[in-house]
Parts: sequence; C-alpha cells; structure tokens
Amino acid sequence: MADKNDAPRRIDADLIRKMADLLKELGLGEIEYGEDEWHVRIAKEPPPAAAVSYHSPHSSPLAHAPGSADSARFEEANPIANHPGVIVSPMVGVVYTSDEPKAAPFVKVGDTVKEGDILLLIEAMKVFNQIKAPRSGKVIRILVSSGMPVEFGEPLLIIE
Amino acid sequence: MFDKVLIANRGEIALRILRACHEMGIRTVSVHSTADADAMHVRLADEAICIGPPAPCDSYLNINAILTAATISNANAIHPGFGFLSENADFAALCEKHGFIFIGPSPEHIRMMGDKITAKKVMREAGIPVVPGSDGPVAGIDEALKAAKKIGYPVLIKASAGGGGKGMKAAENAEELPDAMKTAVAEAKAAFGNGEVYLEKFLKCPRHIEIQILADLMGNVVHLGERDCSLQRRHQKILEEAPSPALNDDQRRKIGRIAVEAIEKIRYRSVGTIEFLYENGEFYFIEMNTRLQVEHPVTEMITGLDLVREMVRVAAGAPLGYTQDNIKLSGHAVECRINAEHPVTFAPSPGRIGDYHAPGGLGVRVDSALYSGYTVPPYYDSMIAKLIVHGANRNECLMRLRRALGEFVIDGIDTTIPLHQRLTSNADFLNGSYDVHWLEKFVNGEGE
Repeated sequence: MADKNDAPRRIDADLIRKMADLLKELGLGEIEYGEDEWHVRIAKEPPPAAAVSYHSPHSSPLAHAPGSADSARFEEANPIANHPGVIVSPMVGVVYTSDEPKAAPFVKVGDTVKEGDILLLIEAMKVFNQIKAPRSGKVIRILVSSGMPVEFGEPLLIIE
Repeated sequence: MFDKVLIANRGEIALRILRACHEMGIRTVSVHSTADADAMHVRLADEAICIGPPAPCDSYLNINAILTAATISNANAIHPGFGFLSENADFAALCEKHGFIFIGPSPEHIRMMGDKITAKKVMREAGIPVVPGSDGPVAGIDEALKAAKKIGYPVLIKASAGGGGKGMKAAENAEELPDAMKTAVAEAKAAFGNGEVYLEKFLKCPRHIEIQILADLMGNVVHLGERDCSLQRRHQKILEEAPSPALNDDQRRKIGRIAVEAIEKIRYRSVGTIEFLYENGEFYFIEMNTRLQVEHPVTEMITGLDLVREMVRVAAGAPLGYTQDNIKLSGHAVECRINAEHPVTFAPSPGRIGDYHAPGGLGVRVDSALYSGYTVPPYYDSMIAKLIVHGANRNECLMRLRRALGEFVIDGIDTTIPLHQRLTSNADFLNGSYDVHWLEKFVNGEGE
C-alpha cells in the first residue's frame, strides 16, 4: 500500500495515450479506468449544439450554443459591432462588392469615400440595393465578400 | 418530405412549429427581428437569420425580407404560423411563385375566406347555415336601414375586410343605426384600408363554437371535433375547451358532417376552422380561418393528432392516411391563454422573467417560449404561454387545471394566471353555463 506522504505517482503517459486513442477510435464520450487506489478519467469536450447563425461574416457554420453568451464569438464580434465607424446591413440579402462579377470593387481598404458614395450592393428578391456611405471617411476594414449572405444589422465595413 | 422549413413567425407558435419539424427530421430556419435575437425558437433552430428591427412591418410582416431569407437559406417550405402573414393571400402566392411551398391552404382559398361577404356566400352555397344578414355590402344609411328592417333588430355592422373580432358595431334599433354605420365605416377604413360593411342579425347570447377541419391535396377531408371559445374579452379568446359543454354527440356529428361536405365542395386543403355562433340549438356561420389557430392544442389533446405535423405532411403531398371513422374524440381539454398583462386591469406588462416554473404531471401541457431570464419584448402580442390540460372527462380536466394553475410560476411580470384561477372556481364556468358575453361581464364585475 502506497504511503500517502509519498511523492505523486509518475504519470503513466502510455496509459493515458492508449485511453485517448480508444476514446477516439470507438467514438466514446468518456472512459474511466482505475485500480484500487487510483482512477483515470478521460472525457471529450461535448460539442455545442450545431447551429448556423448569419451573425458572423464567416460563411462557415458557427457553433451557437443555446443558453450561453457564446463568449468567444461575442469577443470577436463586439469590437466590430461597437466600432463607431461600422456600417451595418439595413436588410437581409446577398452582398456584392462590385457592379459586375469581373468589375473592380466599389471600394478597397484604404480608400477615402465621400458621403453618398456607393460602397456595396445588397440583393434581395432580385432587386439590387445600393449601400451608400453615410458620411465621408476612410475605409479601414471590409468585413464581407461578394456572394455572401448577410442578415439585418450585420457589420459590413468600417469607415473612420 | 421537406429538408428545410423556414418559420415565418415568433413566440410560442414558432417554437411549436420548430418542435414538429425537428420531430420529423426537418431542419429549421428561424427568421427574427432584433428584439427576438434571444428568443427560444431562435436559439433552438438549426439556422437563424435576423431580418429587421423590432417593428412587425419591418420584420415579421416584411415579405421581401422573409422570402430573401428563405432564398439564402435554401428553405423548401415556409410555415406562417398564425397572425402576421398567415392569412395574407399575396404572401402565399409569392411563396409559391418563388419556389417555396406555403404550408397552409391555397392563396385562392385564403382570399376567398378573407373577404367576409364572399366567405359567407361561398359557405351558404356549400350548405353551411349562416347568420341572417344583408347578403352583401350595404352602402349608406338608407340601404342599411332597409336591410336592418328585413333582418330585425338588434343588428351588427361588420367590416367585410375585417375578422378576428375586429371592426364590428352594434345597433339596437333604427335610431342608433345611422351613427353606428358612420363609425363602423370610418373604423373599417382605418383598420383594414377598406370601408365596406355588411349587416348581420345580432344574436343575444350565443356561444362561439368552431369546427376544426383538415384536408390533404387529394381531397380527403376529416373534421376533428369542435372547440367552444365563448370566453372572450373584447372579442379576444381567453380560454377554450373541447368538446363544447353545450353540444351532444348527435349535434356534433351533424355539424361535423356539414363542415366536411362544405370543405370537400370548395376543395380546400390543409387545416382550417369554421367558426359558428350557436344559439338555441342552431348554428350560424360567421367566418372561416384559413390557418392554424392559437387554440389548436385542445383538439390535439382529445384526438391525439399533431396538427402542425399534419399540416407539414399534407403540404409535402402526403395523404391523410386515415378517415373520419379513425378519428376518436377522447376526454376533455381546456386551454388557458396566459398574457403578459395585469390580471385585473389588463395593463400590458412586458419585461424580464425572473423565476419560471411550468406545471407538470399527467395531462398537463405548456406551450410557451418563456425561460428564466428571458425578456418579454413590448412590440408584439401579449400572449406568452398557453396552459393546456386534458382529463378523462370535464370534471377531471377542471380539477387538473386548477391544480396546474396553482403550480405555475412566472415571476418578474404581471400575468393573467390569477384571472384563470378565478375562473376555475366560478360556478358558471364549472357548469359550462356561459355565452360570448359572459366573460366581459365577469371581468367588469371583478374590476370594481
């Protein structure tokens, strides 16, 4: 019987690795193994409930766990959403950054725009709506790409 | 079967539709206003798209935004719930034009029943008994006086573009009629954009009894019994029960058969409700609702059918798969509509929910999108929960209802739960002796 005052037992990395492999191989959520005096439990982090939200500029599905503030996304989106120069979408639709597929974009990062300049198009029900600069300034970030769906209130670009 | 359904609604009905879809393995897209970003039907949906600011006209009534959301999410079908765009024939037609199945009746039937004069005419021709009336619009005081004399006072002036209890004015006699006409026409124009009115005999103390029907695309039709919705305040239903305490099996079978024959004749599809006023053993058609109704759960409890599921199934082209003989009405069910309002003054009470505890147990169902910490927004309808209770008979049901109401906790805002508790200890209600005027008198007495 091991003395309680002994130094901590050497970690059996092989065992842990073997258990982790088993976990993965068999698609388990949790494995626990032990003997008289010790137990090792390895648990997989439960995936958040899969949900796609168009809150983010990314076109890939984002995990959106019900009930949580979804802190990581919050931290990423918040600085953008709260930026005083952010321009948000006034409607749900599909963004186009230029007049025609092969044409140059309306604006690039670094461009200076005047109030009323066309920044983007948003298409809804086959109608193209011009999104115009509400004030003059410099385009410091473009958060969307052509062909991307956006929802109402989604940040599009930042003009300082 | 559909792969993906877009839910064009909010609150408890959006959650209701979401649940039925998920149980069928159908993915859901919830569209929502900024005010509903934390709503339960948004959190549980597979995809969520913000379509506008809080105001309904910019969000839940925004046809462009909803169809755009359906396009970018690749939805196959759209369920409109009730209210909002559910009885907007133009919306239904646009859905179909853009390649989405509208989960409900055809645009033509929506339009037909949306005009109350046309609806009455169509139903009368299909064999449904109607309220004696002007049989067409009345324009001007002289026409109104002539029609009223024929019908017999008291009369009710109703907006043909109205419905849902709105746009109605009564006149007890010929002296009252001219003023009532003027007001009714002005109000109709303001509320519905159409000042056309017609006259109907005003029934003194009728009950409101409605028949639920369901039809598939192949012409198979069933009725699912009736609901008694007589308990109304300002023409808004507060509590509904099925079956009606006023009908016996013979009457039920008879009116059910008449309803089914009419639906067959007009070749209606999906769910629908034929609303009647019932007085002295006679049924009088008032209107047909071409959508799912708020009180559909009481019918579900006594038939065992999931009406939202059936709507989705028939919209996807599936046959009913059963006939009238297979429909069995079992036991008794009551639904209490719980509003975010003061139980006596009915002052609206939006705000943050503190503790929330829904009642449970056998035969108890709560349809609600509430949760602890949720904030009820001030922009929308005040109904926040439906408590539906089922029992083997009406007595057992009412005992269960009283017990369940006593357990229900919704902290932080005012709700009408105390009103329902007062109802469940009232002798008239317990005896089933009430008509469409009863609740108004009850709450006014309580208000003193």
